[in-house]
Amino acid sequence: MKKTIALLLTLVMVFGLAASFPAYADDEIVINFPSIWVGTDSKAAYMAKLVEDFNAENAGSIKVVVEEQTDYQAYRDKIRTTITTGSAPDVCILDTTFDIKAYAESGKFMDLTPYLNEGWGANFTDGAFDAWSADGKVSILPFESAVFTPIYNTKLLTQCGWDHFPATYDEFFQFCKDAKAAGLNAMGQMAGDNAWSSMLWYSLLVEAIGGKDVYADGLDNPAFVKAAEALKEMYAYTFDGAVSATAGDVNGHFLNRDTVVYLNGPWWIANFYKEDNAVDGVLLADDCEVAVNPSFEGGLGDKGLVTTVQGFLAAAKQDDPAKEAAVVKFLQYITDPAHVSELALSSGAMFFVKYTPSPDTSVISQKVTEVANNAAYTILHVNGAFPTAFSTEFPAAVSSLILDQVDAQGFVDMLKDAIDE
Amino acid sequence: MKPTRSDRGPLAAFLSPALVIMLTFFVLPVIYVVVVSMLKWNGISAPTVVWFQNFEKLFRDKSFIRSVTNNIIWALVAGFIQVPLAMLMAIILSRKPRGWKFFRTVYFFPQVISGIALATLWRAIYSADTGLLNGLLRAIGLGHLARDWLGTVETAFPAVLIYWVFYVGYYMVIMMADITTIDTAYYEAATIDGASDFQQAIYITIPLIKKTSLLTCVTLASVLGLRQFEQVYMLTNGGPANTTNTMVLYMYKKMQDSNYGRASASAVILILVGVIFIVCIRAIFTGRNEEAAAARKRRREMK
Amino acid sequence: MTESRVHHKLSPKEVVLAVLRWILIIFFALYTLFPLVWLVISSLKTNFEFLALSPFALPAKPQWQNYVNALSVAGLGRMLLNSVFVGLVATIFNVIVASMSAYCISRFRFKGRESIYTLFTAGILVPLNALMVPYFVIINRLGLYNTYGGMILLYCAIGIPMSTFLIRGLMDSIPLDLEEAAYIDGCGFFGRFFYVILPLSRTGIVTAATFEFLTCWNEFVFANLIVSSEKLRTIQVGIRYFTNQFSTDYVSMYAAIVISIVPSILGYILFQEQIISGMTSGAVKG
Repeated sequence: MKKTIALLLTLVMVFGLAASFPAYADDEIVINFPSIWVGTDSKAAYMAKLVEDFNAENAGSIKVVVEEQTDYQAYRDKIRTTITTGSAPDVCILDTTFDIKAYAESGKFMDLTPYLNEGWGANFTDGAFDAWSADGKVSILPFESAVFTPIYNTKLLTQCGWDHFPATYDEFFQFCKDAKAAGLNAMGQMAGDNAWSSMLWYSLLVEAIGGKDVYADGLDNPAFVKAAEALKEMYAYTFDGAVSATAGDVNGHFLNRDTVVYLNGPWWIANFYKEDNAVDGVLLADDCEVAVNPSFEGGLGDKGLVTTVQGFLAAAKQDDPAKEAAVVKFLQYITDPAHVSELALSSGAMFFVKYTPSPDTSVISQKVTEVANNAAYTILHVNGAFPTAFSTEFPAAVSSLILDQVDAQGFVDMLKDAIDE
Repeated sequence: MKPTRSDRGPLAAFLSPALVIMLTFFVLPVIYVVVVSMLKWNGISAPTVVWFQNFEKLFRDKSFIRSVTNNIIWALVAGFIQVPLAMLMAIILSRKPRGWKFFRTVYFFPQVISGIALATLWRAIYSADTGLLNGLLRAIGLGHLARDWLGTVETAFPAVLIYWVFYVGYYMVIMMADITTIDTAYYEAATIDGASDFQQAIYITIPLIKKTSLLTCVTLASVLGLRQFEQVYMLTNGGPANTTNTMVLYMYKKMQDSNYGRASASAVILILVGVIFIVCIRAIFTGRNEEAAAARKRRREMK
Repeated sequence: MTESRVHHKLSPKEVVLAVLRWILIIFFALYTLFPLVWLVISSLKTNFEFLALSPFALPAKPQWQNYVNALSVAGLGRMLLNSVFVGLVATIFNVIVASMSAYCISRFRFKGRESIYTLFTAGILVPLNALMVPYFVIINRLGLYNTYGGMILLYCAIGIPMSTFLIRGLMDSIPLDLEEAAYIDGCGFFGRFFYVILPLSRTGIVTAATFEFLTCWNEFVFANLIVSSEKLRTIQVGIRYFTNQFSTDYVSMYAAIVISIVPSILGYILFQEQIISGMTSGAVKG
């Protein structure tokens, strides 16, 4: 027995050591690309195809090796550690919006300005780089965008006695009361996990109350307190146990057709069309309609839109000009409008690249894009507008607010303390 | 034993691998952590030295204080409720009742089930609307007690703690192995004297495992209690209102915020609290007098 | 000793105790089996059933497709093998190094012993998450980034304080006279270690080995940090393949978890006799 085990171990060891020295052709440039657009991410399939095609087109000269990363938090930990220790990957995705400025200023990423100025920059939407450049240089590219706009179940809205989506928050809260009377949840809230849904609703309220310049004086703007009061009121019209709920609960209730309004990013649209989520053969998409954020009485917001940068692309500084050229070639390949159009079609996601949408784009995607195009102005989702500490503290702050541990002012103070370092 | 001259070389050789590892993977990194705890640093830009400001801020942060108390409660419950429960089961199973091998295996299962799965299951059990616990309460006419267990300030921490207490398999296996090494002659003699199972456990089993596996398990459980992270992270993420926060979770969140200074300061506090804890446990189990007596005995023997 | 008590007549007190004992045994068995059963049932649902309907209802139709999905993850089998391999090798090195140091600390009084003991104890308490940056630098400097060697070294190292603590605890309980007798018989430093102390501290070594192996098996943060190649990924990475901040495929994830649990439970059952007999074949205590 012991001998067998020893033999087995030796074998595995030898085999393991042999396997850990990958063989690459000497003159082939290898680009290391840790990516979160893998696994169950809606962009996974087409991204994999893009990389495969790129490698095939450049066979023998460039090879992109994707390091699959599915756990966002672990991915962020790793990227932060590699950047801190000066060993950033050749190409990577960044998604903590507020840190982007610091990353751009750190000088650890490749300056892409000369390449963008050669015409590549024209592929991107106007003003895409404005907020993210440092000293006039662009080293980090905003790539995936997202807009947040409510989507509602028309059948359920009718059951509440409404024939249109509320245009103001006064109407919205009236609708909430009607929904409750009809035995339905008006919307899904969650203060568990990262409190994602509640943070989105908070952004919508902040936009409606504070208008387009709401972030100009940080959290001192009275809109943040007022939005907190409204958010607290919403918790009276959501499902039981929202304080400990997670995204799974919010999605589950909406899928179960007991919740009228849903709020999430465009990547979720594919779920409206899944057969699994159909009830009695009716797709969820057939019952759903896209709305715009209601306006707030006395608020400064007017037809605004809450958006965010869902993912940035960045590349580490390279010493070798041939490798730099290869990395740029790969970045240009991913951000090519024709490829982005396909990527948008297959995933439902939106991008900072100008592309012609495919005629096969889903109806809901088209309507969301329409809402986005009609917006008078955009503001960032709160999690991108403030340091990461804001989002980390948000679940604690919102649960404290709902459980009467603090009032609306106290809620804002908690967030202020968290970002005040 | 005092090392003889010929022992010195081998002694150094035996200690050095562990010491080299400790130096590389613990001493140097912890020095790094202590240095960073005195900085204001986001990991990207240049750091500034702020001396003890991070510690000051920690002690003024109510959620950190709460996480320290939570960890201490966790360590106490683990050491003094979970481990005794495990000991009870170890004593029962070491009497070899029918199917004891099966049960010994089954009790160990939760150790190999992924934490993610356990956390999702317990969230479902504690859930307000579809939860099993509330369903049970309603079924037996105690519906008024039903609540959002993980979303209520008073119940969230007990709920997180209690479900964990009953997973005793690991400690049970350690103590069972120890109990089976006890000479059966003791029990035979006791049975002849008419001692009940209960008396045998109190007067034979427990004293004989007290300083070995019981001490090991209590220390282990308390240390794991102080380092508690994964369960809380996945079940509540420290919520609601920070009531289930723990020190490592606090530290982890500060790292997410790229606030390396504060994260390191809380790591330093965690190590300090832990050392105090371990010293106390050793004192409880060995007792001053006994230790002194043992030392005297050793000295006598050396002569 | 159990056999002899089966036959004599039970007093009412003994009956009550027996009933209580069985209530406890069965309670704990249900408590630990329930998650496993729930996991298997959940892994056979659709995501709609899992999310929208009661989490405790049965699936309308078992979805074996989830297992096909889980198995389709490139290299799930390889990840399992990696976990077993890295875990085993790290555990072996770990307990060898730890039993050597435990022997020194437990059996010899020398200058600096107390400080070394304190150092090891404090090591148990270090929250390893705080050491991501230094560990990354160390592994990189040693040229072990993205190698089995790096993972094995790191796992072996981070378990040293705990293993030393567990093994030392047992060595402390071995009576000094046994060792002295061996010494008088002419047993040297190594002789006493191999022929007296090691066999007598098997329980502690097995306890430490189990703990170390479970630590390696469940570790995720460092497995993700110091490895980039898919060939070297461990099973914890595989389990997380279906989780995503914005769209988690719960049921396929559960299927992957079930697949990953099966070998560990089988392994535990197969090795259990070895482990337990290793634990108990030491000296008789008294």
